[in-house]
Amino acid sequence: MADKNMSFLVVDDFPTMRRIVRSLLKELGFTNVEEAEDGQDALNKLRAGSFEFVVSDWNMPNLDGLEMLKEMRQDDALKELPVLMVTAEAKKENIIAAAQAGANGYVVKPFTAATLEEKLNKIFEKMGK
Amino acid sequence: MSQNEQTGSDQLSEEASEELIHRIGKLTRMLRENMRELGLDKEIEKAAEAIPDARDRLHYVAAMTEQAAERALNAIDRAQPMQDELTERAEALDKRWAEWFDAPKELDEAKALVNDTRGYLNDVPDMTAATGKELLEIMMAQDFQDLTGQVIKKMMDVIREIEHQLVQVLIDNVPEAQARETMQRKAEDQWKHDTARRNEELLNGPQVKEDVPDTVSDQDQVDDLLDELGF
Repeated sequence: MADKNMSFLVVDDFPTMRRIVRSLLKELGFTNVEEAEDGQDALNKLRAGSFEFVVSDWNMPNLDGLEMLKEMRQDDALKELPVLMVTAEAKKENIIAAAQAGANGYVVKPFTAATLEEKLNKIFEKMGK
Repeated sequence: MSQNEQTGSDQLSEEASEELIHRIGKLTRMLRENMRELGLDKEIEKAAEAIPDARDRLHYVAAMTEQAAERALNAIDRAQPMQDELTERAEALDKRWAEWFDAPKELDEAKALVNDTRGYLNDVPDMTAATGKELLEIMMAQDFQDLTGQVIKKMMDVIREIEHQLVQVLIDNVPEAQARETMQRKAEDQWKHDTARRNEELLNGPQVKEDVPDTVSDQDQVDDLLDELGF
């Protein structure tokens, strides 16, 4: 069972989707959630704070989710941080590119509350939390 | 207005509209010839090809918003009777308790009242949990805003592209060289502000059509693919 105090960063350029993900996390008992509106904003927040889990969209202005993920994996402080991609991008090459860049999970939008919970738990298991 | 004046103005507007149609026709012919000379007809063709895609996208937006509205309304229809039942049962019990306090009755009746109250208290968490589930459903239905928003942004790119092409055709047809240069500069300044095109290969947004090759259509296919690849 994952620590309910785990700190999450939810990255999406659409406020509605950030709210949905935040509410779903709350529903699962995680209340320590912050938000970023694009990849660059997320990197700044990740480098300034101590986050333990990232849930990120792909298609965003300034810095997209894949580029953010690649930068995270290059950064010693962030390379181990679990990243769950939640995106509408549904091409096989997208899924492969995300996995190769080091994503820990991939959820395609539109998704259900159950799917998000299942993917989070799968990552928690692998993390040994 | 008198009969004569009426006829007069009708005639006038008929003449005016004939003149207008004539001028539009002339302009169209001139544009077409110039476009061919400048090779712009190919550009326009490209823009026109984007239009059926835009139609698919609009269709997707219409379908998604309708679906979201229905999901939310259905959830409300399911939640409302549960809320009403909770209220009615609480009010009925409260009324019985008030009567009992006013004039305490037989022990048997008091026992029944206590049992009914406990039964109600026992049912409340199940019913609020069921209502909570419907609230979650209403929240999830709002995901259309993100999905349709992405599709609409793509369409705005197409519209901007068409607009650029049309403005370029107009500029190329301004007869006076100096005015043409000024207009070109102005247009280019404005276009610079439009977001630069990014590497779009991996940025397609939601799938607006079904059964597109090399594209997954649900989460199971995502999971299968990742399993296959050993991730």
